[in-house]
Amino acid sequence: MAAVATCGTGAGSTGSVVAAGSKNHVTSFQRRGPRASGSDSSYSRLVSIAGTRPSVRNGQLLVSTGLPALDQLLGGGLAVGTVLLIEEDKYNIYSSLLFKYFLAEGIINGHTLLVASAKEDPADILQELPAPLLDDNFKKDFDEEACNHKTAESNIKMKIAWRYQLLPKMEAGPVSSSRFGHYYDASKKMPQELIEASKWHGFFFPEKSSSTLNIEPCSLTHGYIKLLQFIQNIIYEEGFDGSNPQKKQKNILRIGIQNLGSPLWGDDICCTENGNSHSLTKFLYVLRGLLRTSLSACMITMPTHLIQNKAIISRVTNLSDTVVGLESFIGSERETNPLYKDYHGLIHIRQIPRLNNLIYDVSDVKDLAFKLKRKLFTIERLHLPPDLSDTVSRSSKQDLAEPSKLLGPGCGVMAGGKKHLDF
Amino acid sequence: VTPSEGARGGTGRQLEMESVLALRGLVLLRDSVEWEGRSLLKALIKKAALGGEQVHILGCEVSEEEFRAGFDSSVNSRLVYYDLFRDPLNWAQTGEALPGGPLGALQAMCERTDPGPVTVALDSLSWLLLRLPCAALCQALCAMSRRHACRGGSLAAEQLCVLGLLHRELHGPGPMGALSSLAQTEVTLSGTAGQASAHILCRRPRQRPTLETLWFSVLPDLSLDLQGGPPLESQPHPDPHTPQVDPASHLTFNLHLSKREREAKDSLTLPFQFSSEKQQALLRPGPGPATSRIFYEPDTFDDLDPEDPDGDLDV
Repeated sequence: MAAVATCGTGAGSTGSVVAAGSKNHVTSFQRRGPRASGSDSSYSRLVSIAGTRPSVRNGQLLVSTGLPALDQLLGGGLAVGTVLLIEEDKYNIYSSLLFKYFLAEGIINGHTLLVASAKEDPADILQELPAPLLDDNFKKDFDEEACNHKTAESNIKMKIAWRYQLLPKMEAGPVSSSRFGHYYDASKKMPQELIEASKWHGFFFPEKSSSTLNIEPCSLTHGYIKLLQFIQNIIYEEGFDGSNPQKKQKNILRIGIQNLGSPLWGDDICCTENGNSHSLTKFLYVLRGLLRTSLSACMITMPTHLIQNKAIISRVTNLSDTVVGLESFIGSERETNPLYKDYHGLIHIRQIPRLNNLIYDVSDVKDLAFKLKRKLFTIERLHLPPDLSDTVSRSSKQDLAEPSKLLGPGCGVMAGGKKHLDF
Repeated sequence: VTPSEGARGGTGRQLEMESVLALRGLVLLRDSVEWEGRSLLKALIKKAALGGEQVHILGCEVSEEEFRAGFDSSVNSRLVYYDLFRDPLNWAQTGEALPGGPLGALQAMCERTDPGPVTVALDSLSWLLLRLPCAALCQALCAMSRRHACRGGSLAAEQLCVLGLLHRELHGPGPMGALSSLAQTEVTLSGTAGQASAHILCRRPRQRPTLETLWFSVLPDLSLDLQGGPPLESQPHPDPHTPQVDPASHLTFNLHLSKREREAKDSLTLPFQFSSEKQQALLRPGPGPATSRIFYEPDTFDDLDPEDPDGDLDV
């Protein structure tokens, strides 16, 4: 597991404080310990992988899922080395959106992507990624930096927060901010140059499959074998499992697998009840082994509403680390329910892993609903709408009117009969 | 647009229905025993053929003569028919059958299509689903549209229409669900009182699926007659004043009281709410010590001084 070693075990720190040029320091506190210079200092190397941060709870290395609201519900993010399983909604609209957010986050952070699908060509999937939103602060900062050379006097006008002028500005590229999770605009597409600058590998099953082999039951289907071999090759060749120590900068491999378990992978668990029920579970088991020994994080979307044998769903849930279910209201009778009218669907956090931990990091809210606005995918706590009908309130006021009759004449505003005052 | 429909006049509603019927991708025609779908399939084939598209038909359930009956000669000459009904297992070894069984037939059909708008009709998809593994059939259907797209260029994916006739009662929820998830359009045939209706569920990528209902009938010359609504003597529309769904019904917490709970709540006496008799009894000066008395028997350790009952004189 890619755990972050604590600072205290920095071996044999000589206590030399490196007084580097102070223009890059934000604070005046300096860390005692060996600087990352030349020799392999795994602590600072791991922490300095772009787009990751250690978890506040247990030091686990986390990456963002692409949706800051989901990150918060999962306890800060997706742990490196684990699998996030998304149970698809019925028409596969919102789950494919989450899939795209995951990949887009990888591109923004400079991670390597591995996209596997049996339905769409991975190159087409990457063309459809949403564009990142530059937040306003950031944009203002950037614009300010740009015009800093020309008009230095205009900065004098900023009277509020004048202290911030003394701090040096952080250098950052146009999109790659130091923030952990980014927001995306679903109506725009990711700029082409960002996609081309990123490193990605695609696995499109219909192209890779040769002939239909005759497989014996209880073994992996052909598609899954090929996919596992592909993932293993990439991990080994690119050194995500530490097998290539000359690599300068460690990076995270983001694996996205779309529609796993659908018939297009050659698996028939969606078609029959008594199909090859062990193929998918074996795949997940082997995949987890591959992920735990490498710096990678995986998101899988699975059409569990099509799986006929419900026992498989519970086995699949046990074999994944984090499981999130999406249920959209399209076409269901819940669309007319006034409770749900502001939202597009419900989100169920079915499982959260206990990684190097004895307790869960579960939020106490079980009723969560999501809403897709054009720029933002929000997840909110479900609450009742304001009191809609008169009958609810009338009955409670009627109860009060009866005993108020019995009070003496000197008591209470509502005395004097059944008629109650409506405020 | 077939000439007969054009003559009826392009009212707004007609044009809207035409756009709904502009079917692309995989289209499932789900029929049942009461409402058969082959006539609708033939009507759509005729519409496509007269529209200038290539039409390829894989016939499995009925013979070629029976299928071609009803089409006039201009349509019949445009249909390319692959017959799997007469000799599905190729026992006659005539050499004109397609190799590879039904799956091979599907692949061969795809290879023989030229780039351009193509309609492929599978009569029926149920026949294929009963004889082929479902996963293989799904893969073959997806491969058809992809291969056509490869050959034609960027717009070609929109130009292939695969009409599959599916009999609802023959299959379980598994294969039906799997095919539905692949299909771009699902047309479910039903009807009331002699009038057939088609519920069309259209799933466009990255958009909400739309559900429309069309009332239609297929005329003897296999043209489609679209009607605006159900016939007058049919069932009335669902009551518009149906009670609104109660939002508080399936929550994880309970808002309403049951009957028993309500009775218990009503019969509860609050601590400072007295009945009038008790109130009067409290307000009335009581009969004094008759109501409450303290009886005390001094025991041996008590030392009561009658002159100093409180015992606080310093004597």
